[in-house]
Amino acid sequence: MENNLLIAMTWFILALAASLISIRIGVSVALVEILVGTLGGNFIGLHPNDWINVLAGFGSVVLTFLAGAELDPKVLRRKWRESLGIGFASFFAPFLGAMAYAYWIAGWSPEASQIAGIALSTTSVAVVYAVMIERGYNQTELGQVILAACFITDLGTVLALGLLFASYDRWLLVFVVVLALSLWLLPRTTPWIFARMRSHISEPETKYLLVVLFGLGALSMAAKSEAVLPAYLIGMVLAPVFLANRTLAQRLRVMTFTLLTPFYFLKAGALVNLPAVTTGAALIGVFLAVKIGAKFIGVWPLTHFFRFGRREGMYTTLLMSTGLTFGTISSLYGLTNHLIDQSQYTVLVTVVILTAVVPTFFAERWFDPNGKTANEEQASMKSPQQKLESAAPVLKKGES
Amino acid sequence: MFSKILVADDGSEGAKKALGVAIDLAKRYQAELHTLSVEEHLPHYAATVGEVVEAHAEADDYFKKITKEAKAIATQQGVALHAHVMPGHEVETVVTFAKEKGFDLLVIGFMGHSKIFGRIWGSTSQNLTRLSPCTVLVVK
Repeated sequence: MENNLLIAMTWFILALAASLISIRIGVSVALVEILVGTLGGNFIGLHPNDWINVLAGFGSVVLTFLAGAELDPKVLRRKWRESLGIGFASFFAPFLGAMAYAYWIAGWSPEASQIAGIALSTTSVAVVYAVMIERGYNQTELGQVILAACFITDLGTVLALGLLFASYDRWLLVFVVVLALSLWLLPRTTPWIFARMRSHISEPETKYLLVVLFGLGALSMAAKSEAVLPAYLIGMVLAPVFLANRTLAQRLRVMTFTLLTPFYFLKAGALVNLPAVTTGAALIGVFLAVKIGAKFIGVWPLTHFFRFGRREGMYTTLLMSTGLTFGTISSLYGLTNHLIDQSQYTVLVTVVILTAVVPTFFAERWFDPNGKTANEEQASMKSPQQKLESAAPVLKKGES
Repeated sequence: MFSKILVADDGSEGAKKALGVAIDLAKRYQAELHTLSVEEHLPHYAATVGEVVEAHAEADDYFKKITKEAKAIATQQGVALHAHVMPGHEVETVVTFAKEKGFDLLVIGFMGHSKIFGRIWGSTSQNLTRLSPCTVLVVK
């Protein structure tokens, strides 16, 4: 009989190690968990069993809800033309580009090519947000347009993941109708329900959200769709309620990052096959180039259309080329549903991890709108406050 | 001799020693005394915005606490302290702030990374000493 507590201890030792490393080096715990999981999977035989798969699945659903619930709808309303234009172009160009490359040149199956397109279409709101906070751009118009556009891109990704592989039968119809009703009703009823529940140690508000997420997730699975689709959409419509309730947001994050996402990200890493990274190195490089190149084809011209400056256009395009959470979710979905094999999964996840790091590095190093080249930076440096003050007019000037 | 003194305060033991010396100098020269704490180490490549938000909030709480402590120590010695907190890279932010606000003395604790990082990149105090626009006092 399996010793479940021993298995749990092993996974939590790795999760603990990942947390400590992440705090020490200032890199997100998710990324470190993937890397630690990769080492665990390749060197100590770490493999997910049934209940770890269940917890990891819960983790991806709640993580996706959190990603959707972090949208600021006011920004989207104010800059909807730029956000929608850049956001959708940022989804479609790499989706079509990576899918076409995988199918016609790499010789992947149609389903595997679709997964490649979805996994590489993403943008990471969180990666971008961390850069914005550090540089003081999150309050500027440019920063807010980029963040809102990232949400739109990810919306394209979850819609594609939820609808491309669904069975178009009566279950899908039921799912779409129930989801539409929920999206209309929940923003109206949830504040009223929360007001009556009140915050309590037994966490009725969190349980209410889990009922909604898992209920709609179950229906999506019956329709052969994907549970992250309703999770993201519900997150988006409940964002104002969620962001207004700081205690609930914090508790849900703590629960998710302590008990659920370690299993998800460690599992995502454990399924990476290191020898396949070596044998697939060339393909990894090409997919990375295809993703970033396609983002340039889709996003960069639009930055000119919306009259961003040259540096702002490059900065926006590079940040829209990042990816992490939805890239791994899409790749894992493909592997779990036998749409891709482990080598293809390894290639995609490695590209996704590289997209978290490479475009961010180039954007910060050479295209910071208020920064200078690396050499100029040494000679003259601006304070974050000064950057904050001068970043807003950059876009306004372009708009006039 | 000094009219505007800046202390780089990260809450470490070294920074506390630096603050003590800076308070003494501020009293001696009747100088304006400021501290600057830099929020760095926000998680790079995060999975959710929440991870960054929580790290930012934790850093805010930490810096509020050390700022309160620094003000209490300065007040006890009869010196008014102006405390500032900014996000960014530690060396870049301190150097730029000192340059922009016209400080004539930067007081820092002897602190830094591990030996390996120190050898490769130079310690924080070494970099601050090298790049500072004004006189630097490193307190050991």
